[in-house]
Amino acid sequence: MEHHLLHICLQSLKDNNNPPSLQALASLRSLIINPNTSDSTIYSILKTLTHSLQLSTNSLTTHHHILKLLTDLASHRTHLSSQILNSIHSSSLLFTESTQIAAESLTSLASFSNSDQNKIDDQLFMSLCFAATSASARLRLLRNGERLGIGTHMLFTVFLGFTKDPYPYVRKASLDGLLGLCKSCDLFEDISVTEGCYYRAVELLQDNEHSVRSAAIRVVCEWGQMLIAAKEGNDKIAQSNQVFVQICSMVRDMSVEVRVEAFNALGKIKLVSEDILLQTISKKVLAILKEKNSHGQCTAERFEILASSYAGAFMHGLEDEFHEVRKSACNSLRIHTILYAEFARRSLSLLMDMLNDDSMAVRLEALEALHHMATFDCLNVQEIHMHMFLGSLLDSCDLIRSTARKIFKLVKLPDLKLFRLSIHGLLQNLERYSKDEADVFSVLFFMGRSHGNFAARIVKEVSQEIEPVLEGQLGLDSARVAAFLVLAISAPLSQNQNGQIIPPRLFSYAVTLLGRISCALSEVVDQDTLLAYLSQCSRSSTLGAEVEVESLLPVVDDVVLTRTKKDVNNPAEAPMLQTGNETSKVQPVTSCELEYIATSIVECQADELDEVMKSVNLILARVRDAWLLVQSRCTNVALRALRDCKRELAMLTSASLESSGAMAFTLQYLQVMKLFAKIWEHAVWKIRSNGTGGLEYLFGKLDMRLRELRYRYIGFSKEEELYVLELIAVACMLRLSKVEISCSPTTMKKLSAIISHIEILNDKGSIEPSNILMDAKKTVHEIESSKAGISCSLFLITNLDDFFTLKQFSLCSRVRHINAELNVPGNDSENPLRFVSGLPVAIPLDITLYNVSSENRLWLTMRMSEESTQFVFLDLNILGGCNEVRKFTFMAPFYRTLKACSFSLWISIGMECALEDCHILKHCGGPRRDLVYLFQEKEVHLCLVRRG
Amino acid sequence: MAIECLVLGAGQEVGKSCVVVTINGKRIMFDCGMHMGYDDHRRYPDFSLISKSRDFDHSLDCVIITHFHLDHVGALPYFTEVCGYNGPIYMTYPTKALAPLMLEDFRKVLVDRRGEEEQFTSLHISQCMQKVIAIDLKQTLQVDDDLQIRAYYAGHVLGAAMFYAKVGESAMVYTGDYNMTPDRHLGAAQIDRLELDLLITESTYATTIRDSKYAREREFLKAVHECVAGGGKVLIPTFALGRAQELCILLDDYWERMNLKVPIYFSAGLTIQANMYYKILISWTSQKIKETYATRNAFDFKHVHNFDRSLINAPGPCVLFATPGMISGGFSLEVFKQWAPCEMNLITLPGYCVAGTVGHKLMSGKPTKIVLDKDTQIDVRCQIHQLSFSPHTDSKGIMDLARFLSPKNVILVHGEKPKMVSLKERIQSELRIPCYLPANCDTVHIPSTTYVKAHASNAFIRSCLNPNFRFLKRSTEENSDQVLRNTNSTAPLQVNDERVAEGILIMEKGKKTRVVHQDDLLLMLRQKKHDIQFGYCCAAQLDNLEETGNRDGALSHSDKCSCLQLLFKELSNYFSGVNIQDLGEHLQVESFQVSVCLKDNCPYRIIDSPRKEAATIFFCCSWSAADEKLAREIISAIERFNLSDNLPCKNSK
Repeated sequence: MEHHLLHICLQSLKDNNNPPSLQALASLRSLIINPNTSDSTIYSILKTLTHSLQLSTNSLTTHHHILKLLTDLASHRTHLSSQILNSIHSSSLLFTESTQIAAESLTSLASFSNSDQNKIDDQLFMSLCFAATSASARLRLLRNGERLGIGTHMLFTVFLGFTKDPYPYVRKASLDGLLGLCKSCDLFEDISVTEGCYYRAVELLQDNEHSVRSAAIRVVCEWGQMLIAAKEGNDKIAQSNQVFVQICSMVRDMSVEVRVEAFNALGKIKLVSEDILLQTISKKVLAILKEKNSHGQCTAERFEILASSYAGAFMHGLEDEFHEVRKSACNSLRIHTILYAEFARRSLSLLMDMLNDDSMAVRLEALEALHHMATFDCLNVQEIHMHMFLGSLLDSCDLIRSTARKIFKLVKLPDLKLFRLSIHGLLQNLERYSKDEADVFSVLFFMGRSHGNFAARIVKEVSQEIEPVLEGQLGLDSARVAAFLVLAISAPLSQNQNGQIIPPRLFSYAVTLLGRISCALSEVVDQDTLLAYLSQCSRSSTLGAEVEVESLLPVVDDVVLTRTKKDVNNPAEAPMLQTGNETSKVQPVTSCELEYIATSIVECQADELDEVMKSVNLILARVRDAWLLVQSRCTNVALRALRDCKRELAMLTSASLESSGAMAFTLQYLQVMKLFAKIWEHAVWKIRSNGTGGLEYLFGKLDMRLRELRYRYIGFSKEEELYVLELIAVACMLRLSKVEISCSPTTMKKLSAIISHIEILNDKGSIEPSNILMDAKKTVHEIESSKAGISCSLFLITNLDDFFTLKQFSLCSRVRHINAELNVPGNDSENPLRFVSGLPVAIPLDITLYNVSSENRLWLTMRMSEESTQFVFLDLNILGGCNEVRKFTFMAPFYRTLKACSFSLWISIGMECALEDCHILKHCGGPRRDLVYLFQEKEVHLCLVRRG
Repeated sequence: MAIECLVLGAGQEVGKSCVVVTINGKRIMFDCGMHMGYDDHRRYPDFSLISKSRDFDHSLDCVIITHFHLDHVGALPYFTEVCGYNGPIYMTYPTKALAPLMLEDFRKVLVDRRGEEEQFTSLHISQCMQKVIAIDLKQTLQVDDDLQIRAYYAGHVLGAAMFYAKVGESAMVYTGDYNMTPDRHLGAAQIDRLELDLLITESTYATTIRDSKYAREREFLKAVHECVAGGGKVLIPTFALGRAQELCILLDDYWERMNLKVPIYFSAGLTIQANMYYKILISWTSQKIKETYATRNAFDFKHVHNFDRSLINAPGPCVLFATPGMISGGFSLEVFKQWAPCEMNLITLPGYCVAGTVGHKLMSGKPTKIVLDKDTQIDVRCQIHQLSFSPHTDSKGIMDLARFLSPKNVILVHGEKPKMVSLKERIQSELRIPCYLPANCDTVHIPSTTYVKAHASNAFIRSCLNPNFRFLKRSTEENSDQVLRNTNSTAPLQVNDERVAEGILIMEKGKKTRVVHQDDLLLMLRQKKHDIQFGYCCAAQLDNLEETGNRDGALSHSDKCSCLQLLFKELSNYFSGVNIQDLGEHLQVESFQVSVCLKDNCPYRIIDSPRKEAATIFFCCSWSAADEKLAREIISAIERFNLSDNLPCKNSK
């Protein structure tokens, strides 16, 4: 069938005398587009078509059909496209007759295969362009110029020439082409070429066709920017002004499309003189500018004509009928507002008026512009603006409200009146749209913090409202009261709060709303920090220790501030990045910000230790709060809080050894408290009864941690040491209280040892032993006296409660952490150490010891399995180095090498616990007491030496 | 041919707009208004100036009405029914719908209230309206074979249009009243860029430059909002059409956004009826209303209810729109009496109130008491807010329109003379367009473009179809204007595509005018093309030619070549940037050719005695007129050359 068809068709084509019948062509086409047609058929079709294309006897229509078929063929068999292109190319002699068809075929060929194959030479392109009598052919050629792989210079010439075409679409296409060329700007070293193109586009701004005008605006804008880039110094600004004014003349065009394009373009010109900008927001020619010009370059009359050409350009845009135009005008106005203070001031009124626009998109854009101004600190709100500004807080559209609130977060208000108005507006917002609560609170917090003085005044005024009204009941359910509380708690964080004191009870009221408030402020501060801050503020003032609050505040403040700064800055920087390279005037603003942050960092570092201690103590304070949760059976919540503390601790970085000691201690303490919390759940609340196994494991872990707490830190004050000992005592008592494992003689022994140790400590000083210790002592005596195993006295537990609730532990001395680092240089599973089985092997170790004194007995442990551990004593007196940091390389001998190809050792460093009882350990020559390990075990890989 | 413009009304004044324009023999009357300030014959335009014989049907081709305001349409029933004009009348659909309402209302006021003798009856109005042909925006209407008219959106009021009229090649635009800045309910005037001989524009605000209306809107909204928030009542006296809708949209929108629940009322009557028209004629309103129409009709106000008299003293805040606008009587006065004594209430006044009305009294200072008649006194304690929204364009708008259209002439009407004079000067100085301010009954003659039909030859058409651009380099002398940021400053590089320049216009007596391509001309005249060539034979020094061995002076072929090569080398060195081609027999630079001259008495040689022994060689040069300058430079260079120094030593061995 296929062959039959082919045969008929080809016959018809070869018949030179008669033009091929349409039917034959149609059959050919069906063969071409059928994907199942065999390749051989396709080839013979191609061959015939190519051949008949060369024939000069063909009529125009035949040519047309053949070209069409070839194009179809190329589109269906892309691998043939280059061959087809060549054949069309080679028959280009005939093009004079049918340029249009040829152009069309070429361009459509170009459209479906990649440009490398389709390159036609410049000359052909040129001749086609000039020969193309129909506008559509020219249009296609121009549009596909780049795709056809024509050289940039040639394209530029052709495009520029065709901007004179009588057909508007051709003019538009060539302008579009010029616009595209501007990106590949390699050819425009010659400024006169750029100028030529720019001025040609300027001429076309007056074109009769609106599509041409808008294309011309794009070209003027882009090429104008290239001109600007080429100029230096004052010329640059002059050129920039010139382009700006040129585009301004288009904003009164009758076509919407053109106006939108014009305003888009206005936003792209970055550096424009202030007087021109000022004139664009006033329809009247400004008198000041006339004066300025009086000593200037041109006659007054001339100047007025000039100024009137761009007078009120932005005004017109903002009051345009079409929201697209208004939106675009708002957007480009935003770009320019931040450059000059006076311009910012004047355009602010315009932007505020835009908040009354009927289109949501425009209102939003105006708000975005205001936000932009606020971020760059040039938003000076006046009373006259407030009605509209606050109106947007009550807008029925969520997006508008939230954007408006974003501005309020940043805004700086000059006087109390405006502040009061704003607070009122926010409260109304809250009243009407209760779902906005969280965001409104956050805005209030920000505003309070930046206007502490005003906030304190307002809080004072409304304190009646906040206070308990009826029978001591707080009106805390009311969002309004909550809002005032947020304002109140934000005020002390302000820098300009001059001695206005917020009544401390307000902070305790705020604690009751903790969830609500912290949810609202989640981006600024987490719940625990907030709680710590609130309780600190409320508590300390009840104790009358104002000083302490003052000293604590900056910590919170700093944490909050630096974090918010980051949060606030990011959105500000994002649009800047979008807009690309900002002008030089803008950059100082951001660099200023950065500088500010940088200096604050430096200050932080100077006082790092204090800072760390403060933060650590804050965290320790929160541990107590967490313990309250354990007691109210919310173990999970408590554990989460502790984990949060840990995370927060991890965020505190330290450089000095001293502060790292405190931090390490706190971390350890947090782990201990976590274990306590877990054990509490088992032992006291008996919520989980998953057997003693789990509990025993926990106790074991607790013991180890407590031991570390006791021995791995030095430099405790007496209180601190006592506290640690008490913790150990409590752990022992908990263990005792557990029936199944109670009365273990070791625990009893340990407890009594601790108690006696505490007593010794107490003898030296005058510190009252806590109740729990008294109880513990009693218990010990009781148990010892009874000698029976039934003293599982639960009464202990009640006192234990007290122990944690009443005791506020804080770290004040410089705690140092006994620590070690161990490294086996160049050893990993790929590069094991070589050994000969049966012979000892030396393992090179890089060891760094921190805060280890000569009294400490350190052991190197090398473990192959649970059973076989080898100990090596590290004699610090021999190894030398100072107490604080010792760094040395040690060749550790390992004797018991295996008869195996390879094995691994686990190496660690342990310290003898000096005060623990001596155990008779089974390892001969090993440590006599329990060890605390100074770091996690390290794996050492060993491998048999191969002979040969 | 010329355009003749006879101003019958609104010449250097506001009122009774009426301009009769004659373009290429076609006569159009634009607007047919009445003057509200006069009661006598001055009320109507002097129609007798159109035709002494009062045969208006033959002397006028059509009447075009731009919008329904009485100063633009008021005299129409009189003109058609009393004066007897029966020709076509064109106006837009809304104007056709609303004009009879206005006319009827006016007639009633005239007859019923003032008891004047009526100028036309209701029947006249309806009969007149039957002659009206409605036209749509941007619809091109062929009035007759030659006259073509088209309406463009003008803003101002519902249905207002600017009219474009074209006869032959002469074209003009009559703007009527228009507004270049949009309202909430009406768009801004919109027109295409047209080739115009004449623009007749209104100039109500010839010198005012208006600030943004947003500030006024903001203040209005703030005043109203604060009043209702304080529990007060707001009375907004308005005219039925236009301003009422504008303010109502503004308030309705604000209410919607701010989620206010305070009721807004419309007093019954014309306003409701007008709202109905607005609802129907959505396509004539602003973009925003057209866009929202898909979801709801913007004139179906969400918060607006009909007012009932019983509500006047109902407690609680409310906003009320009531007619008439200047509180001259009617319902607005009735409400005013009730509400004015309370401090909480607010009255908003329109920008302009006729003297004698309550509105005018309220505007002039803040009276505490207003005496209506000897029995009625009103204590005025309420707040008063004044707001002016004008639907006319300001002077900047006029300038912008004129700049955009760039007509050849401008005529200003509908304004006050001193202001018009200053605007005229601005148009003439800034736009460089001649401008006229005819007074009533004056005629302005404007030359119009004349066009001659010509046949174009095929070759010319073909050459016009083909692109034919060249790039010209301009000298940079004119660029000193840079500091002025002159919009006309030109680039050094210019594109030139003057295809028509290759055409030749042939006008022969008794034959049709033709345009032919320059190639055609030769064929037509059966002549050959002549090129003017210049020739000059110049001498160059060639010292040691003797050594070449050709003492008899006749240069051999190889010598000739070597000389030419020498010259080529010299020239290439001398004119480094110029493309010099060596074509064997001669050298070529552009059209300049130079070859070695062997003739003894070359006709182009000026030095007649060749000093052979001094070894001079002659070069024959020829060039066409275009390269005259270049040729002169080359020749003077050649004459200065001494080719001896670097003679090739090929022959010296």
